[in-house]
Amino acid sequence: MKFYVCIKQVPDVDAPIQIKDGELIQDTDRMVLNAYDASAVEEALVLKEEHGGEVEVVLVGPEKAQETIRKALAMGADKATHIATNGDTDYDSATYANILATFFSDKEYDVISCGKQSQDTDAGLAGSMLAEHLDLPYTTNAVGLEAEENTLVVKRQGDAGQEIIGLPTPCLVTCSNDMNEPRIPSLKGIMQSKRKPVESIDVGDLDIDESKLQPKTKVTGHMEKPEREPGQKFEGEAEELAQKVATLLDEEENVI
Amino acid sequence: MSTLLTHIAISDGKIKRSSLEVLSHMRQLAEANGHTAEAVIIDAEASNYVDEVKKYGPSTIYTVEDPIFENHMNTPLLKALSKVMDEADPYIVGFGSTESTKDILGALAANQDAAVLSDVSEFELTDAGIKAKRPVMAAKILSDNIAEGDTILVSVRSGSYDLDEADAEANIVDIDFSIDDSDVQATLREIIGASGDKIDLAEAETIVAAGRGAKDEEGQDLINELAAVLNAGIGASRALTEAGIMDPSLQIGQTGKVVSPQLYIAVGISGAIQHVAGMTNSKVIVAINKDPDAPIFDIADYGIVGDLYKVLPPFIEELKKIKG
Ligand SMILES: Cc1cc2nc3c(=O)[nH]c(=O)nc-3n(C[C@H](O)[C@H](O)[C@H](O)COP(=O)(O)OP(=O)(O)OC[C@H]3O[C@@H](n4cnc5c(N)ncnc54)[C@H](O)[C@@H]3O)c2cc1C
Repeated sequence: MKFYVCIKQVPDVDAPIQIKDGELIQDTDRMVLNAYDASAVEEALVLKEEHGGEVEVVLVGPEKAQETIRKALAMGADKATHIATNGDTDYDSATYANILATFFSDKEYDVISCGKQSQDTDAGLAGSMLAEHLDLPYTTNAVGLEAEENTLVVKRQGDAGQEIIGLPTPCLVTCSNDMNEPRIPSLKGIMQSKRKPVESIDVGDLDIDESKLQPKTKVTGHMEKPEREPGQKFEGEAEELAQKVATLLDEEENVI
Repeated sequence: MSTLLTHIAISDGKIKRSSLEVLSHMRQLAEANGHTAEAVIIDAEASNYVDEVKKYGPSTIYTVEDPIFENHMNTPLLKALSKVMDEADPYIVGFGSTESTKDILGALAANQDAAVLSDVSEFELTDAGIKAKRPVMAAKILSDNIAEGDTILVSVRSGSYDLDEADAEANIVDIDFSIDDSDVQATLREIIGASGDKIDLAEAETIVAAGRGAKDEEGQDLINELAAVLNAGIGASRALTEAGIMDPSLQIGQTGKVVSPQLYIAVGISGAIQHVAGMTNSKVIVAINKDPDAPIFDIADYGIVGDLYKVLPPFIEELKKIKG
């Protein structure tokens, strides 16, 4: 099976966050492989181990994102393509999907996978946009993958329960981070990753209409979330407290 | 005058409350800006839900009824929505941010060449489009966003808007729909847990969340009983998922699910920042904890300082009485 996994470099959401004049100050020393993409890489590697094939990662991003490509290669991906953007970009999900759709237009593959969302923006749009552009059967929010002859069997978390979906290949799937524990690269993996092929293409070299690189949505600022104020705290005899709060929830809040 | 169209999501035979919240807000926006609010129901038995949707005042309700919509499948839903959009020519299409919505929103935007903002916590109309706030960076901060264009899709987190009824006569338009089997390449093989016994935390109106304080069998029994009385989803802190007491999919927090129910009851949970990140958007938070200094009390609307084993039995009894 030929797997392409789309990955992204994102800021570590656990790093301290600063906002200055509405701008998010990101600690560029703490950029990481998007956690959902890491699950997609892991799952592709597991399927490759079971069924054979090849895992190639594709990343759209600046020069610095090379380190994230190396991480995926160190986990065990066979090769990579870096679609290089120059410096500051205000790409939205649609621009990423347009770039990737152009890249994939002349490629052969069984499965394209990616994280179900990016951990910094939590948008969760690019995957299904890409599937629509490529006219591929797809599903999102996978929590388990299995391969059959010419079919990818996806367990996804839906509204009414978990849905088991059969997707004929070629297809696209977006992965939740509930599905596995991504492996930590071994020293050997890290050494080997240095010799693995990384092809670099400039976004400008892709045959893509300039208008498709113009985002339709923009982030115009950031702000702290308003803090919740502490409410009423009750101490005393258990039965009395239970009664009091149940009544408040019913009569004051109307949430029972 | 433009059309603000709301998609009414149905799951397990019920209208998703979040879509009625969106419809309520869209109708208010329409009234304030001289637009019209309309709704679309796509389901195997779409007409069954018309009366309920009418209560929220859309001037037109489109129905797309076909057996294929009995279960969620993205291709038919996409095709139906595209068809309705061709018919209604909406300026804004609003969705509750359900799993089914998340499955199609990007594809629909690509298909319709529309601008799209997902999972917003509030939005308003501007001259050129919409302005919206979205929680980002694991819901730690809010971002301001704009989306511009002739057609804009927006999905809204549950609990962002209150329900607002405004009964009016609605014009019902049935949209003729059929789909070729060959157009639907994906096959739905099975649904696990579709009986409605497992409540989807992301959409749950009420959540009872258990922490380390309720880790023994007696504690878990009380949690289950409380959840049953309230018809609530059950969530957990990482202390319980890591200990293997609760399934990892039930973890709420930064690395777990982000939820926004009407009522969140935290039982025996200290209120670590990583847990709070996932539940701070709840409308009403109740905390039960024996430590009067537990940080959870800093964000709880109602705090009960006490031993959960003593507090929960009379609390459950009282709720039973109220629910009658
Ligand atoms: C990177 C990272 C990510 C994390 N992500 C998450 C996450 O997504 N979700 C999450 O929940 N945590 C997460 N955590 C863990 C988090 O920091 C806390 O350790 C965890 O939330 C604690 O769970 P707890 O409140 O159940 O347990 P504790 O902190 O042990 O608190 C138990 C509470 O129960 C009370 N209690 C005990 N007995 C009783 C009784 N009989 N009656 C009443 N009250 C009682 C105690 O007073 C105490 O306040 C994360 C941590 C890290 C480092």
